[in-house]
Amino acid sequence: MEPRLGEFEQLVMLALVRLGDDAYGVAVQREIAGRTGRSTGFATVYTTLARLEGKGLVASRLGDPTPERGGRRKKYFVLLAAGRRAVRESLRTLRTMTRGLDASWGAP
Amino acid sequence: MSDPRSPAPSPPPAPPALAVWLLSRLLPDELREPFLGDLEESFHHELRRGRGPAAAGWWYWRETLRAPLTLSRAAGHPASSAPRGDGPMTSLLIDLHFAFRLLARRPAFTALVTLTLALGIGATTAIFSAVYPILFAPLPFPHPERLVMVWERDQKGTPDNFGFATYRDVVDANRSFDALAAMGHSEVTMTGRAEPERLEGQKVSSTFFRTLGVAPALGREFRATEDVPGAERVTILSHGLWRSRFGGDSSLVGRQIALDGIPYTVIGVMPASFENVLDPKAQLWTPLRYDLLLAWACRTCRHLRVVGRLKAGVSVTDAERELGVLSRRIVADHPKEYEGVGMLVPTLHEQVTGGVKPALLAVLGAVALVLLIACANVTNLLLARAAQREGEFSVRAALGAGHVRVIRQLLTESLVLAAIGGVLGIGVAWLGVQALVALSPPGLPRIGAIGVNGPVLVFAVLITTTVGLAFGVAPALHATRGDLYHGLMRTSRRLTGSRRVTRASLVVSEVALAMVLLVGSGLLLRSMTRLFAVSPGFDPSHLLTMEVVTGGPRFTSDTATHAYFQRVLEAAGAVPGVETAALTSQLPLTNDYDAYGVHSEARPRANTEQDPSAHRYAVSGRYLETMRIPVLRGRGLTDRDRGDGLAVLLINQAFARREWPGTDPIGQRVRLGDATQGPWRTIVGIVGDVKQVSLSADQPNAIYVPEEQWPWADFEMSLVVRTRGDPAALVPALRRAVWSVDRDQPIVRVSTMERLVTGSAAERRFTLVLFESFAAVALIMAAAGIYGVLAGTVVERRPEIGVRAALGATRANILMLVVRQGLGLTTIGIVLGLAGAAAMARIATSLLFGISPVDLFTYVGVTVLLVVVALAACWIPAWRAARLDPMATLRTD
Repeated sequence: MEPRLGEFEQLVMLALVRLGDDAYGVAVQREIAGRTGRSTGFATVYTTLARLEGKGLVASRLGDPTPERGGRRKKYFVLLAAGRRAVRESLRTLRTMTRGLDASWGAP
Repeated sequence: MSDPRSPAPSPPPAPPALAVWLLSRLLPDELREPFLGDLEESFHHELRRGRGPAAAGWWYWRETLRAPLTLSRAAGHPASSAPRGDGPMTSLLIDLHFAFRLLARRPAFTALVTLTLALGIGATTAIFSAVYPILFAPLPFPHPERLVMVWERDQKGTPDNFGFATYRDVVDANRSFDALAAMGHSEVTMTGRAEPERLEGQKVSSTFFRTLGVAPALGREFRATEDVPGAERVTILSHGLWRSRFGGDSSLVGRQIALDGIPYTVIGVMPASFENVLDPKAQLWTPLRYDLLLAWACRTCRHLRVVGRLKAGVSVTDAERELGVLSRRIVADHPKEYEGVGMLVPTLHEQVTGGVKPALLAVLGAVALVLLIACANVTNLLLARAAQREGEFSVRAALGAGHVRVIRQLLTESLVLAAIGGVLGIGVAWLGVQALVALSPPGLPRIGAIGVNGPVLVFAVLITTTVGLAFGVAPALHATRGDLYHGLMRTSRRLTGSRRVTRASLVVSEVALAMVLLVGSGLLLRSMTRLFAVSPGFDPSHLLTMEVVTGGPRFTSDTATHAYFQRVLEAAGAVPGVETAALTSQLPLTNDYDAYGVHSEARPRANTEQDPSAHRYAVSGRYLETMRIPVLRGRGLTDRDRGDGLAVLLINQAFARREWPGTDPIGQRVRLGDATQGPWRTIVGIVGDVKQVSLSADQPNAIYVPEEQWPWADFEMSLVVRTRGDPAALVPALRRAVWSVDRDQPIVRVSTMERLVTGSAAERRFTLVLFESFAAVALIMAAAGIYGVLAGTVVERRPEIGVRAALGATRANILMLVVRQGLGLTTIGIVLGLAGAAAMARIATSLLFGISPVDLFTYVGVTVLLVVVALAACWIPAWRAARLDPMATLRTD
């Protein structure tokens, strides 16, 4: 049984799914902001990612320095197998709960 | 290092360096690089999206401030490997962040506290900014501690002006001074450009500027060769005059200007920074041009002030001792030309500020009391809130926050409040300084130096920090005292016993401090009433006065001057609405000061310098009638007392009593000024006393002589007219009348006599207004304090009140219960305050007039006022308590 995801954790995990190999702080933050309209601070994004890493759902590695970042390296995140399962699990839970709801609820 | 493939752009804006630095200190190692990199990348992204650098910078700062809080919150999470932000900087930021959030959540509380503080800090800072340059700052000259005044000493040991001959003796013989300078006041009319302008100036020895240690910004200072009779006439202008009259034209130096119709060469302009504390109104300087042969250079011609610069290493006492020896030698050589032996050497700083020191210190003390009350009030508010937050603190403690941590959080909150109050306070201070300068009495020294500047800001910051710590300590200690666990068990609204005692004692001290201020302003107010109850000796209603000045080549002969004033008098008398008109050489309750020695024929003294001196009024025939000064014995002056008639004079009653006790002075003969020559004048009448210097001063000796019988014509006379209607309405008509005689003669100092009387107490009024406003603020704050504490206890004692009501207590009983508590605190405060006030008032006796520092009426009146206000403050909580539904209160607990 994978650990359950909080709401923001779900968003971050889904962003990682979408971004694939290119998931680092700015990209994750922009992905969430662009799709949901939620602007979140980097601190929140990093806290969440650190927590997910602690739960063994994601892993991180350091990339190459770029001039745009003042010569600093990016920290890339990728989903681990346990992470993938956790995302699927929480999406299924969500679908189970929404199935059969009236269209006025905006169910998929 | 440039990239060859792209054109080199101008360097793009970078993230705020301070924020980057802060973050790199705060972030844990493993996060520092990616986090900062992300922020920088996004920063450039924001810029590309068209945000201005300022908006992007602001965004960066917001992220910076959010980061530590979010990260450290996560640090508490057990499953987290995230950074632990527990460096001192991080927790300070967290404290700050938390404090701001809490304060923002309670806007009413925050506003009340910060405004109270702003008022306290602002008032204190404003007063400090006025007091600092006067009492504490060094004078704006090099080595100001070596600058002194030098005075001759009269019989009573009080300072007296120098005669030129004595000044020269001191200059020649002393070994204590680097430089000495003599100075006199002058008034000149500048003509030749636009309309004639009356200017005040100083006649000074050529050493004047060297003594002070300042040099002209343009041109040069006076030379010794320009300071002798007959030398070429030269002048140095103040920066202000140079700018206002000559548009700052630097080619003016070397050119000539006309003063009193005589050409003077401008040889210099002083710098704008030159603050002439010796004669603040002087706009130009001319050399004294005296030598010992001049009639007005004699030893008894005491009309010069002397300033000196001590040699390095010579103390004031050394100088005074040397001048004492010198003076003894001079007096031995000229025994009949001195009243007393010795000289006085006060420092220039004492001289300039001595007069206003008691009043300023009193005002500073008063405003400090206001600040204390403000602090007490804020502490009370914080304590009340700490009571509501007891649950919160217990939760924090349960979660592992140590006492130190909680205390620090509370102190941070206090400091944040104080800082906001301080910033607002500086605004209040700035406004206050404008008001102070506008209200300030004409005699206040160094007024140009008053302002919100460096030392004042340092003071404001210091006071804000001190205040923040002071009122933060009590709630912080209370919050953590004893057992936090029990705080969780208790309902949060109950006050602990010790906190109740603290709040009660704070209210008591507020009342006591307010009492001191109220008594102070009560005593000053009573002094003012007493002062204006003093008769000036004439009837100031319906009197209009203006000073008329003659100047220029037309008035070289006394006959011309006399004729001019005669025609002015006639023209003024013919103005419709004028009852009578008169001229006088000096006007009461102005700065006019003109005194002469009076030498009696019947009882000559061995040393005629010790004969009494008296204010001389050279007046026209109807002066006494116009002023309504009563003739008590003998006769007044009439138009028949002309230049060729019997030389006569009148004396005032105080003079008659002092000099001719038990005998009749009428018919006695005296000489004025010089005991050895001049006509003997016969005393023909005794008139009522008139206040000359101020309403509070003792009656001086006075003599009235017919203007035409004085040996020379005064070139400045005050015109006094008694009008039928409103005197102020006649100003234009009278001006026209005076100018109909000669368009080129300036009119200065136009005022109704009533305004002059009021204005003579301007300094007193200034102190009074300040005390009154401080006392009003103190009263309101004390009332708010009483209200706050009672409102708190009513909430806290709700169950008890419910029980009482259920057991049959009437509403009146409960009302009295609360009121009694409030009045109890008030009474203790009043008793302490009365004692404090009596002690303070004794120190400040010099500010009082005509009443005792323990004036019963004031003390009783103030007590009644405070009790009434306290009752009003008790009333709302008491009424609320009385209306409690007993059943409801019992159910809730």
